[in-house]
Amino acid sequence: MDEVKCFIPKSLDEALRIRKEFHAKPLAGGSDLMVSYYKGIGIAPVFPFPVMIISNLSDELGTIRKEDDGVHIGALSTPNEIASSMVVPYPVRKAASLMGAPSLRNTATIGGNIGNASPKGDLPQPLILLDAEVVLRSVDGERRMKVDDFILGSKKTALADDEIITGIVIPEVKATHYFYHKIGMRRANAISKLSLSALFDVEDGVVVDFRASSGAAGPKVRRSRDAEEILIGLKLDEVSGKTGEFLSAWNSILSPHAMPEYRRASTRRMLLGFIEEVASGALPGNYE
Amino acid sequence: MDAEIRFTLNGKSVIFIGNPLRRLVDVLREDFGMLGVKEGCGEGECGACSVIKDGKLVTSCIIPVGSVDGSEIMTIEGLREKEEGKCLIDAFADGGAVQCGFCIPGMVLASYVLLRSNPHPTEDEIRLAISGNICRCTGYDLIVESIMLAAKRGEELWTK
Ligand SMILES: Cc1cc2nc3c(=O)[nH]c(=O)nc-3n(C[C@H](O)[C@H](O)[C@H](O)COP(=O)(O)OP(=O)(O)OC[C@H]3O[C@@H](n4cnc5c(N)ncnc54)[C@H](O)[C@@H]3O)c2cc1C
Ligand code: FES
Ligand code: FES
Repeated sequence: MDEVKCFIPKSLDEALRIRKEFHAKPLAGGSDLMVSYYKGIGIAPVFPFPVMIISNLSDELGTIRKEDDGVHIGALSTPNEIASSMVVPYPVRKAASLMGAPSLRNTATIGGNIGNASPKGDLPQPLILLDAEVVLRSVDGERRMKVDDFILGSKKTALADDEIITGIVIPEVKATHYFYHKIGMRRANAISKLSLSALFDVEDGVVVDFRASSGAAGPKVRRSRDAEEILIGLKLDEVSGKTGEFLSAWNSILSPHAMPEYRRASTRRMLLGFIEEVASGALPGNYE
Repeated sequence: MDAEIRFTLNGKSVIFIGNPLRRLVDVLREDFGMLGVKEGCGEGECGACSVIKDGKLVTSCIIPVGSVDGSEIMTIEGLREKEEGKCLIDAFADGGAVQCGFCIPGMVLASYVLLRSNPHPTEDEIRLAISGNICRCTGYDLIVESIMLAAKRGEELWTK
């Protein structure tokens, strides 16, 4: 019988050494890995690669805290922990609160959601809206990169075979209005068919910042800084005159192959609704 | 590669020695005889295999036993020995919430976690709390009513 190589490191340092020497894949919550390699009742999953169970490292990888450069979310933080932490910006909290069912929200991890890089994953989309960075560590040191650059495509990331995701950093964002919406099939365990988030920062009647990103709509989360620029700098009463131009620029980044017209139409309609509300003087706050 | 995993199961310290990638549901049923832990889907979708890990509801079919080192696990076999468990089980019986019974251990554990943090839930909060537990028989209404009954009857249990 083939020996199943499985490590259970007791510290992050040990995990990094194992990662370097054996390239063992981290198993965090296991909610993707255990299901992908499910063999049947009474049978242990067999992985075609060495794995290491890192679930017990939450002292080092499980905290959420605000620091000078932004909000740090440890890789092992679960959707329930993220959803209930008020230092986490609204779109990420909201996305976390709508993942899976209550039990899944106690098991899944943010590191696994990003490491798995599924186009249906719910957390990359709002993280990319907020220009969040992923923190990668190996025995040789640490590097950071934008989540948007880390996720290369469907199930593809820039993770090196000696690296572990230790966390996410969301830089301080100034926003007066946030929007998040997920469309799934049912209430629990609804895999996203479409998700959208957006933000406005309005100061003295002027749009200082505007961003929009959409998920589950192709191999990668989509944002278009060129389209966003169309609305930035406008006075609120000029926004509706430019909304058509924005929406058609936005539409052109959504691939018709990845997203049929009716879904593109729903993202346009949701964005239009949010933009019109803000343009007509809606109070600062969180919108769905 | 055998691993030694120590955890607490229904209040007793236990040691598992074996493949740490075995699923918690299999280890609980086969090695520890906890047959109240059911397996429906094997994919984290149905909640039949629910257990409480360190106070939180999880599905034991997607968790390797290597992940529970140092944890406290409670199954229906542990909960039914507690006053809260008895209260819930009686309410489920009196409320006619049980048909085939396959989903019920998971439902009772999910209800326990709910009432411990929210002793006076609304109907909507109850439905949300059991949203990961699928029942093929009852249509849920009698389960929801039974949980309300347990909340009412157990008053001081849940607020203590
Ligand atoms: C019933 C069910 C419902 C679900 N519903 C949703 C949903 O609504 N929305 C959603 O987005 N997802 C959903 N998922 C998918 C899954 O739960 C998430 O993708 C979850 O965030 C994965 O995290 P994990 O720690 O459990 O992953 P794991 O299975 O442990 O890991 C997933 C991948 O990430 C890698 N990885 C994990 N941690 C690290 C790390 N620290 N460093 C480097 N690589 C790492 C692993 O090696 C693996 O390749 C669902 C899954 C199930 C079973
Ligand atoms: S058997 Fe575990 S959730 Fe269905
Ligand atoms: S009573 Fe049969 S599945 Fe719920």
